[in-house]
Amino acid sequence: MRFELSDDQALLRNSTRDFLASELPLEKTRSVMEHSKVGYDPAEWRRLAEMGYVGLILPARVGGQGLGAVELAIVLEEMGRACVPGPFLDVVLAAALVAAASADDALVREVVAGRKLVTIARDDAPYAGTSAAAVTAGGGRVRGTKYFVPFAASVDALVVTTADGPVLVDGPFTVTPLQTLDLAQRFADVALDHAARPLGGPAELARVDRLAAVGASAMLLGLMSRCLETTLAYVQTRQAFKRPIGAFQALQHRLADMLLRVESTRSAVYRAAWCLSSGAPEAPLACAAAKAYAGDSARHVCGEAIQMHGGIGFTWELDLHLYFKRAKTLEQHYGSTEAQLEAALAAAGY
Amino acid sequence: MPNSFAASLIGVVEPCQCRSSGAASFSGGLIQPEVLRTTSAPLLPIGLAAKESFMDLLLAPQHLEFRDRLRAWLAANMRRPWREELRDPAATEDGLMEFRRAWQKKLHEAGYLGMDWPREWGGRGAGEVEKAIFEEEMAIADAPPILNTLGIGLLGPALIHHGSEEQRRRFIPPMLSGEEIWCQGFSEPGSGSDLASLRTSARLDGDDFVLNGQKIWTTFGPWADWIFVLARTDSKDRYGGISFILCKLDTPGVTVRPLRQITGESEFGEVFFEDARVPRAQLVGQIGEGWRIAMTVLAYERGAMSLAASARYGRDLDCLAEACKEHGRTSAAVREKLARLLVENEVMRANGIRTLAYFAEGKAPGPESSIEKIYWSEFDKRFRDVALDLLGPGGLLLRTSPDARPDVDWAREFLWSRAGTIYSGSSEIQRNIIAKRVLNLPQDAR
Repeated sequence: MRFELSDDQALLRNSTRDFLASELPLEKTRSVMEHSKVGYDPAEWRRLAEMGYVGLILPARVGGQGLGAVELAIVLEEMGRACVPGPFLDVVLAAALVAAASADDALVREVVAGRKLVTIARDDAPYAGTSAAAVTAGGGRVRGTKYFVPFAASVDALVVTTADGPVLVDGPFTVTPLQTLDLAQRFADVALDHAARPLGGPAELARVDRLAAVGASAMLLGLMSRCLETTLAYVQTRQAFKRPIGAFQALQHRLADMLLRVESTRSAVYRAAWCLSSGAPEAPLACAAAKAYAGDSARHVCGEAIQMHGGIGFTWELDLHLYFKRAKTLEQHYGSTEAQLEAALAAAGY
Repeated sequence: MPNSFAASLIGVVEPCQCRSSGAASFSGGLIQPEVLRTTSAPLLPIGLAAKESFMDLLLAPQHLEFRDRLRAWLAANMRRPWREELRDPAATEDGLMEFRRAWQKKLHEAGYLGMDWPREWGGRGAGEVEKAIFEEEMAIADAPPILNTLGIGLLGPALIHHGSEEQRRRFIPPMLSGEEIWCQGFSEPGSGSDLASLRTSARLDGDDFVLNGQKIWTTFGPWADWIFVLARTDSKDRYGGISFILCKLDTPGVTVRPLRQITGESEFGEVFFEDARVPRAQLVGQIGEGWRIAMTVLAYERGAMSLAASARYGRDLDCLAEACKEHGRTSAAVREKLARLLVENEVMRANGIRTLAYFAEGKAPGPESSIEKIYWSEFDKRFRDVALDLLGPGGLLLRTSPDARPDVDWAREFLWSRAGTIYSGSSEIQRNIIAKRVLNLPQDAR
């Protein structure tokens, strides 16, 4: 029994951290976040693909690395720490679904190589609970509108969820870009009237949903760990009333609670990832719990980071708001907290 | 990284190790950084699948075998779940205590107590992993608790780590068999969270210590035969002036008075010492080592609690969900409350599995165990509180009431949940420990 990473997994973590620090540091990616229309740097994306990251969990037959959910969590935790903008998680999930259905290996190979993008179009309405006509797939065509489609302005193909299961749709698409508070992820609404190919049933989609939950939780873990580290460094140096503010118990106890949140999330995320990669029967509950807990915890920890920085924490200049905003987006997507709570109840048979 | 709480915290204390040292820190890897920059070969095929020692959260075969045997033993030897013993109309407080003593003896004879203690002193010679599995299985089965929890939980480890050979031989066998029950004399009326301010004194007079003072919140005080006492042997040295002394409760000058708890029970009490003479041979360790010994054993007490706790909460949560179904409580508000408890308990379980894996590698508990203590005890309060809300007025019924649900003693659990965040180091003390010893924050402003 072992919770520790293997030497190679640790190497993957370290090399990913080094790679992101040199290639995608915030000093560089902030201008992409603030000024790029597409929301990522295509040259850097190709570089990520060349390094093997895009194909991380895909089988060798499509040029992937054939690794599992634990390795995906390792990489996504690092991406969260560095607050990397771009479609990484969205593309990994969509490609995993297309590859699992063996629907279009040529497309997946292009995606793995960084030459094409595919993401998943899920939302049938802009607001949760709004009743809107669901997208239909009949007679080999998909019709309707999908909302909040990640990086839709840049994709070559989309996985579209429908009442009859997911389908694969080739572009080009008519998109309406959306501006959200999160600077690191771009969304657009997509009007569909396209030829569609079936992509397996709800079981395949459910598997990808669990992977999405673990992946998003790992990013949330990275976001909140970095916010806690930054805050710990700040409270040691910032002086008030002639002492470092970290000497005040009012902050110390809250920092202890932040650590509890971060470390408990870490336990939950890596356990869920392990359950997925080993096919453990607890996987559905473990994944739902990890995402629901990570979402709550990241909002709390990133929010506390802003509070403890005081006024400077509320400035555009400081990076904390990027983390806070990412955390809120991730909390709502990849299975919202509400959806995960339902999934947990279902998994427990309540 | 996530190998243990402690190791992952190194990353917190030394943020961005990799970043600050840049590519130069990439040492010992299979691919050198320069190669990474100049080749188009993918980074990742580094033989990951070929290597052993992956993250693995499955129990080892010998531990699975241990668990299966224990399950079979419990099925054959446990008369009925503890909640049914408690609800028996014929049960009295004294009767239940004797029942626990007999149950403890049975467990001991089957070799399930003193799990991680050496065989030569009556232990099983197994490890923390078996101990954690034992606690979890006891929780799953709703097995009756043993009687000598403080003797086996705290004093045993103290004697094994710091006691003399003679003390181990004298005290450990009757502790395990339940013939001698122990209580813990740490807290005093004026010394709770600030334990080191304790004033009960032990003055050396010939070959005896003479004890004077008062201990309080002494769990099992009214049922115990012996007490282990932290007493002051030097009034000038705050930590180094404390010694760890064993005292028989029928010693002249010792008086035990039960205290009534908010549950109505009297599991704990007060112990008064008035010129009570205790042989010097009953000192554990050296004079002045008491504080160090106490801190060691408290870390053990906090040990791998999460796994057993989440098993117990999981069982009670199943009962609560069932009760909600029976009572037609299926609204979204009710379901959200259940779901949040379910999620939090599942995360507790993940913490427990992580600690178990940590123990499986032969590591000892450290200050990170404070995280687990806060987690389960604070969760307990939320859970028991929500349970009463979901059950409605019936949740307030005492177990002796004919209409009380037979599944869980919800009213008693609600009250008991207020104790967990106070005993064994309050939540506030645990946060102090994390702030200082894990996060390395400066001494707080007092």
